[in-house]
Amino acid sequence: MTTTEAAALPLEAELSRLRAEVARLEDERAALRDAMQHRDEELEVAARMLRARAQTMTSVIDAVTEQSIIGTDRDGVIRVWNPGAEKLLRLPRQDVVRTRSITEFHLPEELDEAGGGLDALVGVAREQGRDVRDWTYVAADGSEITVSVAVTPRADDRGEHAGWNFVGTDMTEARATERMKDQFVSLISHELRTPLTSIRGYLELVLDDEDQPLTDDQRTYLTTVERNADRLLRLVGDLLFTAQVDAGRFTLQPEDVDLSEVVRGAEETARVTARAAGVDVDVEVPDAGLVVRGDAVRLGQACDNLVSNAVKFTPRGGRVTLTLRAGWRTADGDAVSTPVEGALPVATLAVRDTGIGIPAGEQGQLFARFFRASSARRAAVPGVGLGLAITKAITTAHGGTLELTSVEGQGTTFTVVLPR
Amino acid sequence: MPTAPPRVLVADDEDDIRALVCLAVRRAGCTVLAEVTDGAAALAAARSQAPDLAVLDVSMPGASGSEVCAALRSDPATADVAVLLLSAGASPDDVARGLAAGAHAYLAKPFAVAALVARVRELTAGSPS
Repeated sequence: MTTTEAAALPLEAELSRLRAEVARLEDERAALRDAMQHRDEELEVAARMLRARAQTMTSVIDAVTEQSIIGTDRDGVIRVWNPGAEKLLRLPRQDVVRTRSITEFHLPEELDEAGGGLDALVGVAREQGRDVRDWTYVAADGSEITVSVAVTPRADDRGEHAGWNFVGTDMTEARATERMKDQFVSLISHELRTPLTSIRGYLELVLDDEDQPLTDDQRTYLTTVERNADRLLRLVGDLLFTAQVDAGRFTLQPEDVDLSEVVRGAEETARVTARAAGVDVDVEVPDAGLVVRGDAVRLGQACDNLVSNAVKFTPRGGRVTLTLRAGWRTADGDAVSTPVEGALPVATLAVRDTGIGIPAGEQGQLFARFFRASSARRAAVPGVGLGLAITKAITTAHGGTLELTSVEGQGTTFTVVLPR
Repeated sequence: MPTAPPRVLVADDEDDIRALVCLAVRRAGCTVLAEVTDGAAALAAARSQAPDLAVLDVSMPGASGSEVCAALRSDPATADVAVLLLSAGASPDDVARGLAAGAHAYLAKPFAVAALVARVRELTAGSPS
């Protein structure tokens, strides 16, 4: 081997090592390029999916034309304004987004009444995660719109609080319908009461005419007419009252009311019917009286309803017991007969009967309007199913409760608890 | 010289009820001065005949009983006429509205004839005629 040959050997070895290295690098580069291209495609798919998702969200929000969807940042500055909001408040998106605050579209007096500012709108939603109530929106032309607004907090991708959503439904029409229903019920009740005034008035003249006394038969027949006119009148009154409760127009005339007197009065009212039905009515009330703050007429009505029901649903030979007691109600809602710390003074009236009872499965529906227990229908006890709904509304309006325990075939106890 | 009975104006658009009211007014020992069927006629009759008492239905065509009552109160010539309102709407709000219009008493329909007689007597007691 010549010297030159000997020198070429390491050089060639180096060259081939370098070639191999270049080839490996090229492979690596190709692999990297592949990976990058793959990543590119993946990114594009992801971006496309995101765009599609955003598009779906936008198109869903844009498709809502009858409800306003307004999204704000944490300070109430508007970021989302859908076509429903454009239509309701009569302003295009570009005039509002990033430049106006949600509070600018609320009736200022109403906001001030609720504490003022954005906090008046989002306070409850911040505490409870959600708030739905009626607000008055003021549109660009100054018109005021009653809107039921659902407020919820909105989070960003990291779960941080990012702002608020306000979804509003225009209630103008619904409120107008309610008003119409109201007017209708008033009209009907007026139209029914007018002929009843004549019927009862002229009956009274005939029944009380001392110069021309009636025969016993005539008196019986006309008393039956009178009783049925009274029944019709009560029904009209009950329907009107139910409509008032519905419309939130039911108001109390509060005064000091002696419940002992109310209970005795209810017994007196039911006495004739009870005697005819062979049902004994016992009254246990504090002799010194038991005074609550309330509407005497309505509490009387509630008490009358419970007593007349008890008599109505108790077979001959049975007994109805009215027990009125002063007591206390603990924070847990338990009734106790001696004062304990934190307990509120209450008056408790229990109306217990030995009647036909209410099937366990139906007791939950008993306070619903027009509901009648199957036991009542089977026994053919007359009624339309308004009395208990009315009694419940009256006790609730007084801040009280109405509950029952009943065993079919054994009897029922209704318990009214009123704050005193 | 015997005193003349108190004079009462009766306004109700329902014939049967108006007849019933007139009967109650007479039973109360009063004279029915005029029977009318709408608010405008009630106001005209009250102005021209100066009754001691006006028994007014609340819902009459033209002016309501409450409106007639308010008009009577605002005119010095009729401000002293006693007013009894009758209405088939018996909510506490109705009563409050009637009394706010200046009525002395309010009776919800259907009323007991005996109760109406008592009210008319009460409101005309001491009426110089």
